[in-house]
Amino acid sequence: MRNYHGIIFAYHAQPELRELTAARTAASLPFCGRYRLIDFPLSSMRNAGILNVGIIMQRDYQSLLDHIGSGKAWDMSRKSGGIRMLPPFGLPEYHTGDYNGTVEALNAVSTYIRDIEEDWVVLMLGSLCANVDLQAVISRHEASGADATAICADHTPMGVHHRYVLGEDGFVERIALYRTGESEGVASLEGYIIGKDKLVELMDRCRAENLYLFHRDAMTKFLGDGCRMGVYIHPGYANAVRTVEQYYKASMDMLRSENRRQLFPANRPVRTKEHEEVSTYYGEHAAVHNSLVADNCIIEGEVENCILFSGVRIEPGAKLHDCIVMRGCEVGEGVELDCVIADKFASFAPGVKLVGSPKLPTVVPKRTKI
Amino acid sequence: MKKSCIAMLLAGGQGSRLYALTQNVAKPSVPFGGKYRIIDFPLSNCANSGIDTVGVLTQYRPLQLNSYIGTGQPWDLDVSDGGVYILPPYLGANETGSWFTGTANAIYQNIAFIENYDPENVLILSGDHIYKMDYADMLREHIRHEAACTLAVLTVSLEDATRFGMLNLREDGYVGEFEEKPQHPKSDLASMGIYIFNWKKLREYLIADENDPNSSKDFGKNIIPKMIDAGEKLWPYRFDGYWRDVGTITSLWDANMDMLSTTLINLYDPAWPINSRSPVCPPHYTGEKAEIVHSIVTEGCEIEGHVENSVLSPSVRVEEGASVVYSVVMPGAVIEKGAVVEYAIIGENTVVEAGAHVGGAPDGSEDWGVATCGPDIRIRSGAHVPAAAMIYTGEEV
Repeated sequence: MRNYHGIIFAYHAQPELRELTAARTAASLPFCGRYRLIDFPLSSMRNAGILNVGIIMQRDYQSLLDHIGSGKAWDMSRKSGGIRMLPPFGLPEYHTGDYNGTVEALNAVSTYIRDIEEDWVVLMLGSLCANVDLQAVISRHEASGADATAICADHTPMGVHHRYVLGEDGFVERIALYRTGESEGVASLEGYIIGKDKLVELMDRCRAENLYLFHRDAMTKFLGDGCRMGVYIHPGYANAVRTVEQYYKASMDMLRSENRRQLFPANRPVRTKEHEEVSTYYGEHAAVHNSLVADNCIIEGEVENCILFSGVRIEPGAKLHDCIVMRGCEVGEGVELDCVIADKFASFAPGVKLVGSPKLPTVVPKRTKI
Repeated sequence: MKKSCIAMLLAGGQGSRLYALTQNVAKPSVPFGGKYRIIDFPLSNCANSGIDTVGVLTQYRPLQLNSYIGTGQPWDLDVSDGGVYILPPYLGANETGSWFTGTANAIYQNIAFIENYDPENVLILSGDHIYKMDYADMLREHIRHEAACTLAVLTVSLEDATRFGMLNLREDGYVGEFEEKPQHPKSDLASMGIYIFNWKKLREYLIADENDPNSSKDFGKNIIPKMIDAGEKLWPYRFDGYWRDVGTITSLWDANMDMLSTTLINLYDPAWPINSRSPVCPPHYTGEKAEIVHSIVTEGCEIEGHVENSVLSPSVRVEEGASVVYSVVMPGAVIEKGAVVEYAIIGENTVVEAGAHVGGAPDGSEDWGVATCGPDIRIRSGAHVPAAAMIYTGEEV
């Protein structure tokens, strides 16, 4: 058995995802026609042979539970170990209010963390859209002899993030919190390998001082203790989705083949819940360009630069540009949609026109009829 | 545990009339209709009809079929008190044993399997038909008419009748006569090769037939006629939906083209899903210059070229300037830049290199045939595979 245990943080509600997270967490956001964001960290773990994984969630997790099921899609439905869904339990103080931070989330399931038998824990964000080669991260971690290894981006991500400044020995010298744009050091993707005992110790110390943030509190203590943190630069696409704008951009990024190749390499497949579906039918007047189309769609209209999830119906004369159309949406005759994110089972009556912009895409909530 | 009805699926046939497509795989595991293999249709029908115990009789090149069926999970047939079982021919102690010598012999050799479930009735299915049928409805008729055997039948034209086993009915509606491929058919009711037998009766007839040295151990040729001769009650169950035998290249191609029409057979009906074991691939990508018209396309495909009146399987690549018209392209095949594929079937993982040309078009032409390339072939750049050609795996083209 591998000496690594996975923990995925899937509790984030992310208010800046607006209507998209009205009834789901960021980790269970539908993505790229057939996936949920959590498929990426889960598949990364599966592809590195890490099959014992805990998923920390807090509320609005019905869609997540539904998606994960027994964990079979990731080979994590095991007789011993496998996947564990972790709502808050144990300490009553964690039953109210949103988790203020990752350390608080870990403490809310601290009995689970304490019972982990493996020596190392791999922590990842449930909403990190990246196919991380955790096998390579582990190799690097073991070769470096570090006490922890941080997974970092090879670029500067959108929005606020934390950075690590490295010393001459290649280990982290200090942490630069809450940066935006180009800055010193490398950007953290908030994925870590850390010793299980060290993690529990940090959780306890933070709890004693009423601290709850992972980077500001736990990681600062970790570095302050003189522990050595190595860095693994993930050489490929990565986007931690926190806002509607980021979600929209990440989706549109998938229309470029180099991004798809990085996110869906043949040797590290992204696994997801199986939907048994029929093929997509292109009608006599269909005109589809530069789009990703899932199964079970019937397309009679014009579609350009779009992501279509399964079960979408597009009637003749409809024109869709730069849209994300989720499962089961119906687009009537002559409808024109531009920069629209239509959540599951939305429907557009004939003739409806709706225009958003890439910076502010129009979100049509689940089951809305327009 | 006692079952009302279990199914036995005859999947051992070589499918020799599919030539290059069944060189290395059994006919039921030939890809069909984009996402499916032929066997998905009877397996899905079983699951949708509430029949949760299916014995799959394999014989010819079963490797791919075995791994495809696996635990039966894609069809929800992985249940604890039933499930799907692969039943190959086997040797018993002190027996010489043998391959299945006929359809009836295949069931005879698996009497012990069937007895495990102590079923009232046994449904016999073929692994090479494309159709959606509610076997539960057929079973209800079978029970209501207290039949020893119920045969699914459909109405065919008199010309077609010479290719089928034809039924002539008595005045009371039961079957009075069964003629295999008659020269002069007396009715238009054709047997579809789908039977429900009362198990006690069938068991008797199987044992008697096995001991008959003159029998060819076949349901249509031996068991059914013997039951009629003995005065058993055989009921015809009329089916008027879409049904195709896909035993030949032309019929396989035709049936694939039928999948482009939802009026012939509706695969989009959520109440009767046809399930399959499909690898998880990203959604298909339709490129800047792609033109896809009246076609079905599925996961993992990358389309930059022209696709018209065609059926594409998962992970097919059609490059820029390539043209795929009136064709069936099986999983993982690649049609490179500027290649032309028309009126053709392209096997799994076959590559049609840039500029090659497969198949020929009937521009009003009557005399043509479907060009077929088996799996894992490279059609070299500049090669021309004519209409009706058959290219086998291992051939240099």
